[in-house]
Amino acid sequence: MSRQDTDDRKSTDDRKSTDGPLQNGQRPGSERAQGGIDGEALVEIDGLTKIYDPGGADVLAVDGLDLDIGHNEFVCLLGPSGCGKSTVLECIAGYLGPTEGEVRVDGERVRDPDPSRGVVFQENRLFPWKTIGENARFGPQMRSAVDDDRIEELLGDTGLDGFEDAYPHELSGGMQQRAELVRLLANDPDIMLMDEPFSGLDAMTKELMQEMLLDIWEEESRTVLFITHDVEEAIFLADRVVVMTARPGEVKEVIDVDLERPREFDMVTTEEFTSYKERAIDLIHDEAERAMAQAEGQ
Amino acid sequence: MNTRTFGLDHRRIRGREVPLPPRWMRRTLSIAGFLFLWWWAQAAGVPYFQFELFPGPIETLTALVGVEAAGEGAGVVIPGTGMAVTGYLAGEAVLAGEQSIYFHAFFSAFRVASGVVVASLLAIPLGLLVGTSRRWEDYLYPALESLRAIPPVAWVPVSILLFPTFQLAGVSFTTAVIFVVFIGAFFPILVNTVEGVQDIDTEYRRAAESLGADAQQVFRHVVFPAALPSILTGVTLGIGLGWITVVAAEIVGGNYGIGYLTFQAYRLLQTDTVAVGMITIGALGYVSSAIVLWAANRTMPWNEIEVNQ
Repeated sequence: MSRQDTDDRKSTDDRKSTDGPLQNGQRPGSERAQGGIDGEALVEIDGLTKIYDPGGADVLAVDGLDLDIGHNEFVCLLGPSGCGKSTVLECIAGYLGPTEGEVRVDGERVRDPDPSRGVVFQENRLFPWKTIGENARFGPQMRSAVDDDRIEELLGDTGLDGFEDAYPHELSGGMQQRAELVRLLANDPDIMLMDEPFSGLDAMTKELMQEMLLDIWEEESRTVLFITHDVEEAIFLADRVVVMTARPGEVKEVIDVDLERPREFDMVTTEEFTSYKERAIDLIHDEAERAMAQAEGQ
Repeated sequence: MNTRTFGLDHRRIRGREVPLPPRWMRRTLSIAGFLFLWWWAQAAGVPYFQFELFPGPIETLTALVGVEAAGEGAGVVIPGTGMAVTGYLAGEAVLAGEQSIYFHAFFSAFRVASGVVVASLLAIPLGLLVGTSRRWEDYLYPALESLRAIPPVAWVPVSILLFPTFQLAGVSFTTAVIFVVFIGAFFPILVNTVEGVQDIDTEYRRAAESLGADAQQVFRHVVFPAALPSILTGVTLGIGLGWITVVAAEIVGGNYGIGYLTFQAYRLLQTDTVAVGMITIGALGYVSSAIVLWAANRTMPWNEIEVNQ
């Protein structure tokens, strides 16, 4: 993949973003689901607008966001803190209802949380009162469909065998995140929604976790929406990086990352990777400044 | 000055490091120091206070336990020595009555236990309801909050009027005292249960829902276990308050029990028995809280609760 190709793509994306999501009258769908391997989009977000109402003062968190995520696509949502990234994820998960617009998954409007849409939280949310084994079994157990071999396999793959009877607090941060990943995978979701899952880990552990996540993703063919404010992480992981503006959150630009797979960690030093990174940093820098000004203004 | 370096305790006196006595010794000194102060205040007298009316530590301890030549009646005879263990701990009758201190202690403990058990059975489900449902919180909490403002001891007169006394196997049971204990234990358990439920991080609920749990499963697997440390903290606090209230209620309305014993001893000017009663209440309160804490921490290997009373 040459530098020229990516630049071409950039111009298409620029055009799309200047169209503006609200003026974009055409029905979204197959055209924008460019990264989808199967063509049809799994997740369709149309004009998603979310207004929070903390004590009377309306806060516009997300303003008319359009985004499609294809089957088996790995999409990273990149944006400065407080830009509404998590709000988007919470709307897809079904925790929040949009103020305007809608989110469809598999053609159906999202209303409630559902086991087909699994979530990994920023701070690990393993149940502290359950052992690692009990946590891993939780999803299947709710449906009385525990497959012990599958749980064993997942724990083994993530280096957690032997820790089944340990409680989460007895494990390191990296192991806790792996256990949370196991809990999610044991439930076999169609899409994995991950909200800055590795942001609390040290740099080394973070790298290892990213590689493990990619291994799992490549092996099991799943759809992932991964939220991060770490530019390098976004490019390393994603098929497409969706750069968001500062609040109110909109899509600023979409970067298609055509780095070869499987990805290895030494890739981050290549020229190709660096050029993606420069572009993303340029895009996000202004937004980060705006976000900071907003935070200071409060 | 006392410095702590790598677990070694020492202090510096004029540039030289002098080791501190080991920890158990310091802790024993704490008790010994207290007993000495008590003895000294009583023996030497302190201006303003009428310490001469109060027994010293030695009289109190001999009232609790002593060894005498086995004579007529009192004491537990040690075989082959001609000696006998005497004192209240050996089962000697108190207040010139027939009952031993164990009888009174059992009575108080029974009242505390039944009051706390009934309080738990009501306050925990109620707290879970109020904590999970905004609607029920609106219906129930204002009334409960205003009742909570009344100190439990202030319920004593009303409860003596309201509750009957039973005669059972020649012993009269005053249910009023149990009710006062119930009031004392109920509110800390209720408040801690409500707070325990309301303080649960939303993301735990969300995680469970996204894993496929329905409302009932969320309650069973998330809400209840997440609130459990707080609930058991409430129960432990409830027991502490139970001991406070049982003493107050027994002074006014009990025919038996450590509170009754202590106050009767005061009326009869048996001051060593007063001191013994105080020590017994303290010990029973401490032991029962410790038992509940131990049981609570065994039930919840993921969470250690500590309660400062």
